[in-house]
Amino acid sequence: MTAAIQVDQIKKAFADKKHGSRMAVDGISFEVFPGEIFGLLGPNGAGKTTALRVLATLLKPTGGTATLNGFDIVTQASEVRGSIGFLSGDMGLYGRLTPRELLRFFGDLNRLPNAAARVDDIMERFAITSFANSKIDKFSTGMKQKVAIARAMLCDPPILILDEPTSGLDVPASRAIEDAILDARQRGKCIVFSTHVMEEAEYLCDRIAVINDGKIRIIGTMDELRAATGKQRLREVFVDLLGLSGGGR
Amino acid sequence: MRLDILKTIYVKEMLDQLRDRRALISMVVVPLLLMPLMMVGMVRVFSMIEKKAKDEAKSLGIAMKVSSPAIREAVEKAGLKIIDKADLKAAVEKKEIAAAIEETSGVNGIPEIVFYVDRSNPTSDSAGDTLRALLTEMKDGQVKARLRARNIPETILTPFTVKRVNIAPERKMAGAVWGTMLGYLLLFLMVTGGMYPAIDMTAGEKERKTLEMYLSSPAHRSEIVLGKILATMTAIFLTAMLTLVSIVFSIRNSGMAGKNPQMEQILKTIPLDGHAILIIILTLLPLSVVAAAVMIAISILARSYKEGQTYLTPLLFAVIVPALLGGLPGLEFTPLMALIPIFNASQVIRSTLLGDLSTTNFLITMCSNLVYAAVAFYFASRRFEDETVLFRT
Repeated sequence: MTAAIQVDQIKKAFADKKHGSRMAVDGISFEVFPGEIFGLLGPNGAGKTTALRVLATLLKPTGGTATLNGFDIVTQASEVRGSIGFLSGDMGLYGRLTPRELLRFFGDLNRLPNAAARVDDIMERFAITSFANSKIDKFSTGMKQKVAIARAMLCDPPILILDEPTSGLDVPASRAIEDAILDARQRGKCIVFSTHVMEEAEYLCDRIAVINDGKIRIIGTMDELRAATGKQRLREVFVDLLGLSGGGR
Repeated sequence: MRLDILKTIYVKEMLDQLRDRRALISMVVVPLLLMPLMMVGMVRVFSMIEKKAKDEAKSLGIAMKVSSPAIREAVEKAGLKIIDKADLKAAVEKKEIAAAIEETSGVNGIPEIVFYVDRSNPTSDSAGDTLRALLTEMKDGQVKARLRARNIPETILTPFTVKRVNIAPERKMAGAVWGTMLGYLLLFLMVTGGMYPAIDMTAGEKERKTLEMYLSSPAHRSEIVLGKILATMTAIFLTAMLTLVSIVFSIRNSGMAGKNPQMEQILKTIPLDGHAILIIILTLLPLSVVAAAVMIAISILARSYKEGQTYLTPLLFAVIVPALLGGLPGLEFTPLMALIPIFNASQVIRSTLLGDLSTTNFLITMCSNLVYAAVAFYFASRRFEDETVLFRT
């Protein structure tokens, strides 16, 4: 099977006033296949968001190459963006628009055929229809998250890039996102998502990469991580790899 | 550049702006309601102050030290109360009286009538005006009476009369008045009208964390920038046109001309025919691209709405000065001057209203502003390619 995402030695450096340059992502490589959920796990500032932003073509890599759905992230950025659904914990919804207008807007940007019908379908699927014509500003966090995930999946993209999608959500709202992710996998989508919630990663991911200081420390299935570290739970693997075991819980 | 994507972006930006209460207030409510209220209100307030000053002058009264009973009689006839005060200047200063008159010996045996007023005080100033008119009338009356007593005709005082004939037609006169203020107002309002939407569509998007989702869509950065510039341009034109209509209406109906019939006629004659309107719109079009692109390029540097306002405020001054200078009468509009942005548009508007716009200057203005628009668009597009600007935290 061909990988939907191929990442080869991607690097991303930012200019730093004090040190001249700071390497946020330092030569990471991995592959993700259709029908697979791949988790990027790491503490705050580890480089997860930067790595996902590079894959989503929001940031240009300093080095290395990556292809998504066969398109190069540097030379075919627009095609890459047409192949992905991107979602972050901030949701990024236009509060003055209604869900219907927002979804239609992103559908049109993607030149989605039969956009109106597709918008109706996705709203039905995520139970948005009852509040489809109200302004998003007035919604609860859970309602907003439904709209955000519907937006990411609207064009039925082969790849979903989700940056801490459950950040700041309560259990029911998080559960709705998790269900959507599992459903997408069922439909053969390739999903890469970042989180620092161990239980979530353990529950959802087929494979996990632990990232710290911009480098991947370990990568594999849960069983492979257990075998490599001798630890049973992901939390213990994480703590062990990051050398946090000294005084931690 | 894909037109369907551009249209999608433009429609969304406009919808977003028209749903924003703050944008609506700045684009529609301020021009349509606040401007007329301010202008009509100002005229009303000034006339109220004037009336109050006149009434107060009558009730406070004046003091006088004069030998002529005729003066006393004339003052009383004018409705001013006469009050006795020892120190005239001090009484005016302490606002115990509105004004005072004192007769001094003068020079060469000609008595001198001095009147004391506090010109910083509208009541005293008003009383002073009444006294001056009254004393001048009295003096003229006495001169004429003395001439009559000596059988000398009054015409001896008038060896010749002076008459000024203004050969400028009414339209040109109106053009001179309107040309001074219209260009400045339009250019200034272009910036203020576009400022809020430009900040909202850039720094506002960053603040609300919507920009990331926008940029992760297949839309090209140049399409996003152009869509935002077009939306800002629409806001600029909408605000400018509404304010223009509102100002013209207010000036014509506010009674600003007072009792000057010539000024009243000028204010009522707005030299805006179809040709003039077309020239003004053509002139403002490339300039509005420049203004919108510059505002978008600057405000995208900001991390928040507040920061955006701070960055864009100096731009107002960069517009006010050349716009004001361009409207000044007496400045010759040369081809070289037509290269100066803002100033050139202000001069074109003025020349159009005066009816003496040179084709060369108009073409140079258009071409130079189109070049500036292209440069500004390129500059704004580059800002949207710069990730250190877009993801600045």
